Amino acid sequence: MVQLLQYAKRQANALRSDQTTETTHDARPGTHLQLWFLVLLVVFPIVVAVIVSTKETGVVTSLGDLLPGSYAVENYREALVDYRFGRFMWNSLAMSLVIVVGKLIVSVFAAMAIVYYRIPYKDLVFLFILFTLLLPVPVRFIPLFQLMNDLGWSNTILAITVPYIASATTVFILRQHFLSIPTSIVETAKLDGVGPLRFMLFVLLPMSKGVLVGVSIIMFVYAWNQYLWPLIVIDSEANQVAQVGLQLLQGDVQGGQLSWSLVMAGSTLTLLPPLLLMIVFRKPLLETFSIQQK
Amino acid sequence: MTTVTLQNLQKTFGDVVAVNGIDLEIKDGEFLVIVGPSGCGKSTTLRLLAGLEATTDGRIEMGGQDVTGVEPKDRNVAMVFQNYALYPHMTGRRNITFGMKSSGDFTDAEIESRVEDAAETLDIEDLLGRKPEAMSGGERQRVALGRAIVRDPDAFLMDEPLSNLDAKLRIQMRAELARLHSALETTTVYVTHDQTEAMTLGERVVVMNDGQIMQVDEPQMLYDFPANRFVAEFIGDPAMNMIPVDIEGGHAVHDAFTLPLPSVEDPPATERNGTGDTQIGDTRTAILGIRPEDFRLSGTQADDGLPTIDAEVNVREPLGDSLLLHCSIGSTSCNIQAEPRTEVRAGETVSVTYDPARLHLFDTETGDAFYHSESHLSSGEQVVSQVSK
Amino acid sequence: MSTREIFDSRIESGLLLLPTLLVSIVFLYYPTALAVRTSFFDSSFGQADEFVGLKNYLTLLTDSGYHSSLLLSVLFAAVVVIGVIAVSLYLTFLIHEVDTGQGLYLISVIWPYALPPAVGALVFLFIAHPTLGVLTGPIEALGVDVDWFNNGPQAFVVVALAAIWKQIGYNVIFMIAAMNNIPDTLTETAALDGVSGVRRLVSVYVPIMTPTLFFLVIINTIYAFFGTFAFVDLLTSGGPSNATNILIFDLYREGFSFFNFGVASTKSVVLFLVVGVLMLVQFRVTDKYSYYGG
Repeated sequence: MVQLLQYAKRQANALRSDQTTETTHDARPGTHLQLWFLVLLVVFPIVVAVIVSTKETGVVTSLGDLLPGSYAVENYREALVDYRFGRFMWNSLAMSLVIVVGKLIVSVFAAMAIVYYRIPYKDLVFLFILFTLLLPVPVRFIPLFQLMNDLGWSNTILAITVPYIASATTVFILRQHFLSIPTSIVETAKLDGVGPLRFMLFVLLPMSKGVLVGVSIIMFVYAWNQYLWPLIVIDSEANQVAQVGLQLLQGDVQGGQLSWSLVMAGSTLTLLPPLLLMIVFRKPLLETFSIQQK
Repeated sequence: MTTVTLQNLQKTFGDVVAVNGIDLEIKDGEFLVIVGPSGCGKSTTLRLLAGLEATTDGRIEMGGQDVTGVEPKDRNVAMVFQNYALYPHMTGRRNITFGMKSSGDFTDAEIESRVEDAAETLDIEDLLGRKPEAMSGGERQRVALGRAIVRDPDAFLMDEPLSNLDAKLRIQMRAELARLHSALETTTVYVTHDQTEAMTLGERVVVMNDGQIMQVDEPQMLYDFPANRFVAEFIGDPAMNMIPVDIEGGHAVHDAFTLPLPSVEDPPATERNGTGDTQIGDTRTAILGIRPEDFRLSGTQADDGLPTIDAEVNVREPLGDSLLLHCSIGSTSCNIQAEPRTEVRAGETVSVTYDPARLHLFDTETGDAFYHSESHLSSGEQVVSQVSK
Repeated sequence: MSTREIFDSRIESGLLLLPTLLVSIVFLYYPTALAVRTSFFDSSFGQADEFVGLKNYLTLLTDSGYHSSLLLSVLFAAVVVIGVIAVSLYLTFLIHEVDTGQGLYLISVIWPYALPPAVGALVFLFIAHPTLGVLTGPIEALGVDVDWFNNGPQAFVVVALAAIWKQIGYNVIFMIAAMNNIPDTLTETAALDGVSGVRRLVSVYVPIMTPTLFFLVIINTIYAFFGTFAFVDLLTSGGPSNATNILIFDLYREGFSFFNFGVASTKSVVLFLVVGVLMLVQFRVTDKYSYYGG
């Protein structure tokens, strides 16, 4: 009803002035309310986490306890140094960076080959790469674990990076993007006799900046958030990544040795890098996702 | 600099035959236009010339050399695309020079001077530092042209380069292209679906349909002497009227009229004064072609004693410089062009006459033209109808 | 397509594809093949592998505990998939309707995508902890006894809720892109016809978004089976009394707590088959009901 009145009002105004009416419709205040409520639900857990990380003991049993404490610096320092969370974060960073750079280069190569080269049985090759999506870690981690042992890579950075270097999703996304580049540009390059290296460096990559950033963010988040595989293949604390480090912290809590505020401090630390990256680069990220529409 | 020869060119995609046996000789320095409806094979032919597609059969020669299997970059041709194909992340200058720098055939100094020349010729000096997104459609097209001319190729290949521009700009660019051609004199092959463009730009025009050449001729010849129904209806806007008639005793007979056909017994396009037998045969059916502009409303001019035809006006379209009447002659619909301010209303019946030199006859089955009245009137004979209406 | 293939050097294309193919074969296909092979063996630490044919499979076939796990996983997947899509759809709709603050709402809703599962699990654990949790008080005030450390069904609900909460972000990203692709004219026609609110969402938007929605069903299914490991591991460890012992967790325990590699491999294979069949079914249904090119 309110909407109808608003619509009518706008039409009347439009007749009076010479403006064309806007086609966007105003949302009712109720919509905003609902949104705020739902957003609050989604955001609440983390707000709690951050608040708790600033308190002394992290015993929060009632909503009234949810006031920020002043122990922030203490807690974070303890987590980073005493409980080696700094080391964990560093390991996660190293792993994620290697994976992102490696995957990017390897996948750009593969996508370029698939789109711009005449290859026999090309469709099969592409399918072969895509099919790996059906082979997630849980299905192969036991033999993979044994393979790591055999190669002597167990508990090294190699174990948590190399298996991730082939990426079906990245190749898929890059391929879709390359296919959206107008054929006439590609043909112009061919008429000019531009070689593959020049083509990749001066035409392809500059025209893919948005997607490359988006894909890098996706890969970073994916790598940073890996839990199961590092849990299995890394056994020394010194080499462990942040995600599993959290579980170690939690283990200590159950044993009554640690306060929750420390765990929350660790959690917040672990959350920050992917979150910040996502916020800073949200435009290219969203752009890349809409390419994924089939 | 370069003649181009196509011999029995064929191109098949899967089951689809896109180009079905093209034979064509393009003269050095000629501006040749290939025109035809969508899907007729004109773009494919151009791409075969460029080397972007491989031929299924046939030969291509450039400058006397067989280039049929040769890579595009070695054919020394430049192509201009419909959507300009400018690298969006490069400036105008870099767009123009990128190809030359990649091939490594030119020194930096040479490239510089060529760019300066091209920029001057096309008046794009201030576009050199800009990126395509900061250019209008026409400006982008000129940069694309610049990229083509700096290479100083043996031939320009243009694939509907003006189709993405608005009407006014298109007319402007047409003039520019004509000017450019007379300055550079490079052999140019130009593809379009717009017959107006073809007529105004082409020194010769190739009309294609269904992968084959329908006719190759100068624009005016295509207009005056179309070789078949397809060309007759494709060239000229509004299109030629096609009226089914019977040929009897040197006249075209229709329910609503009978027209004398000048010197029907002579074969078309020769000047014979003899009185050989009617080449056409005693009685046959045919399609009579008359262009809307070759009709006249009788009473507006001296009649020459020609038979008049009654036409009932169904719709009138004032076009500003002319008046197009959609009429019915008997049971056949027909378009007639009249003077712009004529007082005629829909529903009225008008009396029309015609230009006797502008009649065409086409075979009912094959569509081939077998008679153009103009070639029979070259001696200036008058036609007086033996049959009054 | 073929006109984009401007290069045809076999060697170059081979080199470009090599890293991806190599890693895919060595670290994805090969371990999978090994897993299948090991499923026919009795394998454990300190023992030689012993070929037992189909014994492992038969064991599973008759293991009622495994059957429970299987049914549990399917139920879990159903709950999570439906829950995620419903909530995400409504959220996306609300955001789509709003004029101002779209960017802010979007970020606040999407960010859990960047959230490490481990962090998410821990925070959830903290909030809903039967004795220490912040929300526990208010919920108990509503008459519900919060006791999911001991109460099976409750534990199931908690894990499901956590899983749904985390996955909303990823879904909203795709849904908002799809919803933004719906022509404004359709919304206006609906408004003129008097179709508003949820009815418009369900009758107009959803049918047009079916390709995206079905894509998300598949993604969410994979997530429910494979991506929820951290939640189970950190919240309930599969309990209480196997109430949350979904297949992926059961598999992990079999391999890395009990060290029955043979049986674990068998479970891997079965898991793979179950998910594979489910996806195939979803593909068929998708094709039948999708409206492409709305």
